[in-house]
Amino acid sequence: MSVSEGTRPDAALGPMVGEVVARFELEKAWLVDPVSGREGPGEIVVMDGVLESVVWLAGDEAAGVTDRGVVVAPGFFDLHAHFREPGFEDAETVATGSAAAAHGGFTTVAIMPNTQPALDEPGVLARIHSASKASGSPVEVLAYGAVSAGRAGEQLSAMGELADAGVIGYSDDGSPVRTAKLLRSALLYAGMLGLPVVDHAEDTELTGGAEAHEGYVASVMGLAGWPVAAEVNAVSRDLAVLADALRDEPRARLHLTHISTAAALDLVRWAKAAGLPVTCDVTPHHLCLTDEWIPGSRRWSWEALAANGTARDPWVDGALTAWPYDTSLRVNPPLRTATDAAACLAALLDGTADAVATDHAPHTVVDKEVEFGRAANGISGIETALGVLLALVDAGRLPLARAIAALTTGPASVLAGWPATAGTSAARPRGLTEGSPADLVVFDLGESWMVTPESLRSKGKNSPLIGRELPGRVLLTIAGGRLAYEDPQSGTSNSNAAE
Amino acid sequence: MTTVALTPGQLAAAGPRFAGWHHRHLIDVDVLTWPEIELIMRTTDEMKGILARPIRKVPALNGRRVTTLFYEASTRTRVSFETAARNLSADVVSISTATSSVTKGESLVDTIRTLEALGAEILVMRHSVSGAPYLAAEVFGGHVLNGGDGWHAHPTQALLDLYTMRENVPGGDLRGRKVAIVGDILHSRVARSNIWSLTAAGADLWLCGPATLLRGMDRWATAWSGGAVPGHGRFNVTTDIEAALRDADVVMGLRIQRERMQGGLLPSMREYAARFQLNAKRLSLAKPGAIVMHPGPMNEGVEIAPDVAISGRSVITDQVANGVAVRMALLYLLAGAHEAGPGEPAR
Repeated sequence: MSVSEGTRPDAALGPMVGEVVARFELEKAWLVDPVSGREGPGEIVVMDGVLESVVWLAGDEAAGVTDRGVVVAPGFFDLHAHFREPGFEDAETVATGSAAAAHGGFTTVAIMPNTQPALDEPGVLARIHSASKASGSPVEVLAYGAVSAGRAGEQLSAMGELADAGVIGYSDDGSPVRTAKLLRSALLYAGMLGLPVVDHAEDTELTGGAEAHEGYVASVMGLAGWPVAAEVNAVSRDLAVLADALRDEPRARLHLTHISTAAALDLVRWAKAAGLPVTCDVTPHHLCLTDEWIPGSRRWSWEALAANGTARDPWVDGALTAWPYDTSLRVNPPLRTATDAAACLAALLDGTADAVATDHAPHTVVDKEVEFGRAANGISGIETALGVLLALVDAGRLPLARAIAALTTGPASVLAGWPATAGTSAARPRGLTEGSPADLVVFDLGESWMVTPESLRSKGKNSPLIGRELPGRVLLTIAGGRLAYEDPQSGTSNSNAAE
Repeated sequence: MTTVALTPGQLAAAGPRFAGWHHRHLIDVDVLTWPEIELIMRTTDEMKGILARPIRKVPALNGRRVTTLFYEASTRTRVSFETAARNLSADVVSISTATSSVTKGESLVDTIRTLEALGAEILVMRHSVSGAPYLAAEVFGGHVLNGGDGWHAHPTQALLDLYTMRENVPGGDLRGRKVAIVGDILHSRVARSNIWSLTAAGADLWLCGPATLLRGMDRWATAWSGGAVPGHGRFNVTTDIEAALRDADVVMGLRIQRERMQGGLLPSMREYAARFQLNAKRLSLAKPGAIVMHPGPMNEGVEIAPDVAISGRSVITDQVANGVAVRMALLYLLAGAHEAGPGEPAR
């Protein structure tokens, strides 16, 4: 693989982030194009930031090229991340979040409005856009506006002005939309504006003081339980309100983010079958991690699943190898059982879950190096999302093409059908399309990488995967024709990564 | 039979890993093997011997520094630990959150680092958040001895309970003996630690209380129903007080807190007492020689009738006395423990 560029005088230093990729050629890689549904051996050429050619190889030319080596896919789109700016810049900034996104293969990120001040009026959005521009990163930063002013759950935010300024939807994420009544108004008003409402489905009455998924592990660990009913209750409410709102505003639309329980996914499945305009995403950590990590297990969710579909017992299995109560595992919604994780995977495979979203939630050491029950909720996950999904691929449980679709066309489809506002690319197709601006990620499934605090570009080192090898090192990320990330080891060496 | 080294010299001579003890910290009962529990019981026997002497003090931990750090109010546990440490001639520093920088917002980690810099070697800790001693142990260079964390664990209480039961049950063997623990199981670290120790001891354990205060326990009991955890048998969870008490050898009451009514978990103390109080009539269901226990502090007239608490069946004051001996034994064992080597359990 080689990246050359002509816009800087000293080519020996290699191209820099933000610069237009003058020329990049990749021979004999495994191409995945979720738009055409095609995958196979191929070659690509990027010229002056444009995906100049995509050639599918066959016969002898394709010999030796497998889906276990270098893979080229469209740039990923994260429907749910927290970049913490403005207000919590010690945890993350738009610049560090964008660098982390690019390291994870993401070229477009939709960030949540739970900043300080909340993104409830256009001035905050302007500030984020200007921080994105100043960062020099070509990663496109999109944003949701708050549903309610100050995310207080009382009055609607400046929804129309926010739409004019370019938000892609509305959410009070971090919290659910507080009341059914407010949600109804938000769905109607957002529908009128042509934008979706994204809800964090949690009945906070049931989760007050909760520390971990309510179940066997929480009982043994003495942690206050986070009942499944809290998610099911909130999803039921949201679906009921959506059904009502549709009668008045047929464009009303709901996206449920980070659904984590088998029962709530069943509700979404039912609602989709009934024709309700609802979509949902699941996170990499709810797919692959479970509550048994809290007492110290470190096996993947599918390894924790017994033959009868129930969760194995880590105490019985002697699976507890890590120090217990690691606060990087404290997340909302909480890590669930292996059964729930299997349900998340089944939902991804049958399309009930439209997308994988990271819920990248960086936190400072100050907020995490505390007692488990007092730690901030969240996992820094945008850089490990691909690796975690590839672990599922490696285990033979998720086809590579489905994993890629869940990170590209899946998220795009959630926002599709809406008029693109303010020139955003949220709803663009995300395929490997000749003649379009190059927006792609190159990663090597043959090479793993070690997650360490230093390897994470995010300020948030709160990852339970630290110390673990993940498959699929990202070699290169190009966003909108410009360089977003290049693996320092493959760097400017002219080696052909397909070898 | 282990012989307890009674001087610092003997303790040092006992070597870095003596008498089958290799835990650097004691945070929960779950990591203890049955031989280790037996070792604690035998060491407690020796400590009781010391307590029976006219002068209850030996120099075993002379010059060793024990710090008690209590984030929750406690009288008996704290005094018990400090008495135990002094009986072993340790220097005791006592920190309570009301008088420390904790009230100024100092984090637990900073507090632990400060105490270590001040020379703490063995940290006895009580905290309201489950798992907090694990965080302390991660940053502390010495030994952490859990004095109770959240709803999670209270290992010294479980061990003194076990010791007291063995003293009082004919033959000193709990295998097949029915032990009923009645009260607020959901919020009880005492119950959780007792589940590990009593199932390991082979007792027929019954947990009983109102359904709202038993939540989650049935899932635990079900998970163990096949006796699946090595060395740990099944236990029973029931709301039927009569079933729990019938033919019991040991009956333990747990404190019912008034906050539980505000939390919507109980209609009233009166109703709790009417349905679950350990009174003479209910205890007549238990075996004639059954003993009555309570980790304290008691709400007499709520979870236990006053006459039962002071009856001949009650061993509640024995629990308090044995608590000092068990804590002496654990301080002694931890002080002789070394840091875990490669391949050895770190906790």
